[in-house]
Amino acid sequence: MIAEKSHTAQFLIEKISASASKVGFVNDAVLTKALLYLENKGIPSNKNEDYKYCNVEAVFKKEFKNPEQRFIGIESISPYRLPGTMCLVVVNGTFLERLSDVNKLEGVKITPFNELDQATKKKIGSIANVESDGLIALNTAFAGNGFHLKIEKGTQLQTPIQVIYVSGSDGESIVNPRNLIEVEEQGSATIIEQQVHIGEGKVFSNLLSEKFVAKQATLISYIFQNEGPLGYSVNTNQVVVAKEGHYDNTTITLGGQLVRNNHQVVLAGEYSQAHLNGLFSAKQQQVVDNHTLMDHQVPNCESNELYKGIVNDKSTGVFNGKIYVRKDAQKTNAYQSSKNILLSDDATINTKPQLEIYANDVKCSHGTSTGKIDENALFYLNARGIGKESGRKLLLASFAQEVIDKIEVESLREHITHLFESEI
Amino acid sequence: MDNEVLNEHINKDYEWGFVTDIESDTFAKGLNENVVRALSKKKNEPEWMLEFRLKAFRHWLTMKEPENWAHLHYPKIDFQNISYYSAPKKAPELKSLDEVDPELLKTFEKLGISLEEQKRLSGVQSNIAVDAVFDSISVKTTFRETLSEKGIIFCSFSDAVQEYPDLIKKYMGMVVPYTDNYYAALNSAVFSDGSFCFIPKGVRCPMELSTYFRINSIGTGQFERTLIVADEASYVSYLEGCTAPKRDENQLHAAIVEIIAHKDAEVKYSTVQNWYPGDKDGKGGIYNFVTKRGICLEDNAKISWTQVETGSAITWKYPSVILKGNNSVGEFYSVAVTANFQEADTGTKMIHIGKNTRSTIISKGISAGHSNNSYRGLVQIRKGATSSRNFSQCDSLLMGDQCGAHTFPYIEIKDKSGIVEHEATTSKIGEDQLFYCKQRGIDMEKAIALIVNGYCKEVLNKLPMEFAVEAQKLLAISLEGSVG
Repeated sequence: MIAEKSHTAQFLIEKISASASKVGFVNDAVLTKALLYLENKGIPSNKNEDYKYCNVEAVFKKEFKNPEQRFIGIESISPYRLPGTMCLVVVNGTFLERLSDVNKLEGVKITPFNELDQATKKKIGSIANVESDGLIALNTAFAGNGFHLKIEKGTQLQTPIQVIYVSGSDGESIVNPRNLIEVEEQGSATIIEQQVHIGEGKVFSNLLSEKFVAKQATLISYIFQNEGPLGYSVNTNQVVVAKEGHYDNTTITLGGQLVRNNHQVVLAGEYSQAHLNGLFSAKQQQVVDNHTLMDHQVPNCESNELYKGIVNDKSTGVFNGKIYVRKDAQKTNAYQSSKNILLSDDATINTKPQLEIYANDVKCSHGTSTGKIDENALFYLNARGIGKESGRKLLLASFAQEVIDKIEVESLREHITHLFESEI
Repeated sequence: MDNEVLNEHINKDYEWGFVTDIESDTFAKGLNENVVRALSKKKNEPEWMLEFRLKAFRHWLTMKEPENWAHLHYPKIDFQNISYYSAPKKAPELKSLDEVDPELLKTFEKLGISLEEQKRLSGVQSNIAVDAVFDSISVKTTFRETLSEKGIIFCSFSDAVQEYPDLIKKYMGMVVPYTDNYYAALNSAVFSDGSFCFIPKGVRCPMELSTYFRINSIGTGQFERTLIVADEASYVSYLEGCTAPKRDENQLHAAIVEIIAHKDAEVKYSTVQNWYPGDKDGKGGIYNFVTKRGICLEDNAKISWTQVETGSAITWKYPSVILKGNNSVGEFYSVAVTANFQEADTGTKMIHIGKNTRSTIISKGISAGHSNNSYRGLVQIRKGATSSRNFSQCDSLLMGDQCGAHTFPYIEIKDKSGIVEHEATTSKIGEDQLFYCKQRGIDMEKAIALIVNGYCKEVLNKLPMEFAVEAQKLLAISLEGSVG
């Protein structure tokens, strides 16, 4: 059978090519592979099992009929800046040194992709396989000048690093931010990634981040998404954790018309551990889709996942979590929990917690529950003089608290708590 | 652990693997429209039945064999290399047992299925009415007269087409239309026989009804369909069992079971699936591609599926319930055991449409050897299915480090008043549990049997007594000694 080429992908390639920056962070062979894959397999639609509940192709067809790539610049990021952090700024997919605090901290090295040495360039794309997902291919083919962030060996970074991805356009635009983050042996760091949308035009942000956590290193990662109704984003986050390494991620989604998070963590070294937490609150027509893959490749690793979602109005929330235990990954401990609350009869929750296990000496479990606000709990509060509305807010806040409490950076936690409370 | 014990049990024979030497009337291999016509003619079917088959066949031609989506790996099936009809030569239309070929009687006797009505199973109170299906056709349905006194229709599907065309026309394809899936379309085109059961209004069926399927001929596929209709406020418990000879070739079994439960009716369907699973190197065995679905058509109906899956090289089976009537109830209890190179992808779908509908799913998977065992399920609460409730639990037990256990639950909720809970665990038999038993003088084998039986108890308890005994034995045979 002759594979039919994807019209959507071809159209996108044509539109984006003209304005794409030619950074050349991958070699021509990889680039060709990415373009070929994109043309043949296209942008994932709901026919693709991994995108069953999140039809990205349809979004492109419907909402990005004419991507003009008319970007607007940005001169100040102060409204988004968290106090006490070191800040990196990516505007419309391009790392802006001018707005960033570059190389202010000892043991931290930040380099734009176009200034990288060959050895480091080779690491780009070593986790994210261009032939595994059309959106990875799209990013690889058209990413702007991203950045490489390195926490050098033994550096115990106290100051959190904040990465702000700002995208703004006055037409329909597609941006492909990309980065490579490395925490070297025995290093530790906290990174806050935040997506911001400005301007009057729709932006589709196809973000791809590769993260390496070396032996005995620790990376605490926070992702905060609050883009508003004109922001569409796919956030692919691929992580490899080496021996005795530790990776934590907490993803908070409060806004964005379409938010798809692909978290893939490979536990590649023994005694490593990973924790993925997530909280989302969706309203109106929003779609929030959280996809996680915890790949236990070696024995004696531990993973934990906690995802909570609240859907209101006509929104859709998705959680698809997969725990994959490879054949020799004995003594694996993996746990996954997903809890959701529906606030409206027009809202939808789809969950698919998956276990794929090929080793016998393991302890793996998942649990998921979906329901409405507990009427009894609400009545209890009402009976004690707490009004319907504040009772409801109290219950939702306590539901979310478990995830919000995972955030150790105080300024971020307070900011999110405040935003969450005003959202619900 | 104990290798000798292990080997002994792995080498244990499939005791139903004999072949009956009986003359049969078998179609040449191959499938085309003429085969479908010939099959229909052979069975002397009315025009409407042939039309149904041809429609299904033409639709099947337009479909593509499903690939990849299930967690199964097997070579492509050559549908032209299968004979679509095989029947024992002696005419099946018999009035008394004396006319049944003694070879056949012996076969069923050997399988522990009595076709003689006066015989009671030892220690069992009630009789069981059996429809015995041998290759493509039903050879004998017992207790037909006794049942008809109560107005219950229990006969082979072929007889039903002749005698109760209105009922068949009304209900056939209602739950599983021929367009449903690839194997359902194939079955609708070439099904050879099966069982039909109709319980009239207000009748509680006095005995267990049962179909026993036996594949005997070489190179054939078995395609049967079962249709169970429970009219208002009636009750029936239905059992299904199956075996096949040991062969090196893979034989295809693609069946359809449809259940329709009217207002206040209850249907309990239990299966002990024990098709030949292939040998210890994964050679041979039945490919079991079955579409089973029930509908709670009106209020307060209840459908319950219980299955013990120990056989088949490949199992692809999702007994489902459409909960259309308000307050209707769906249940699914399953134990799936895979050993050697068996692969199972099984589970259920619970579709909540009516208000206040409830469903329960308990699935216990056990994998040993090089096998792969997957639970795949869907719980869907549609908009308007207010106050619906689901509880699912799927546990997997792994024995040995070469096998796999997987869960693929899909949960789709579109109503805020729905409450859905899902839990899954995967683990191995606890060393401490084994130690505890051994310390108290229970040997390894018995300890494992004890633990596995305890693990499956929730499901085994749902089986009718005769079946529970058989199921427990089967579990022991399939598994004992597989812990290594």
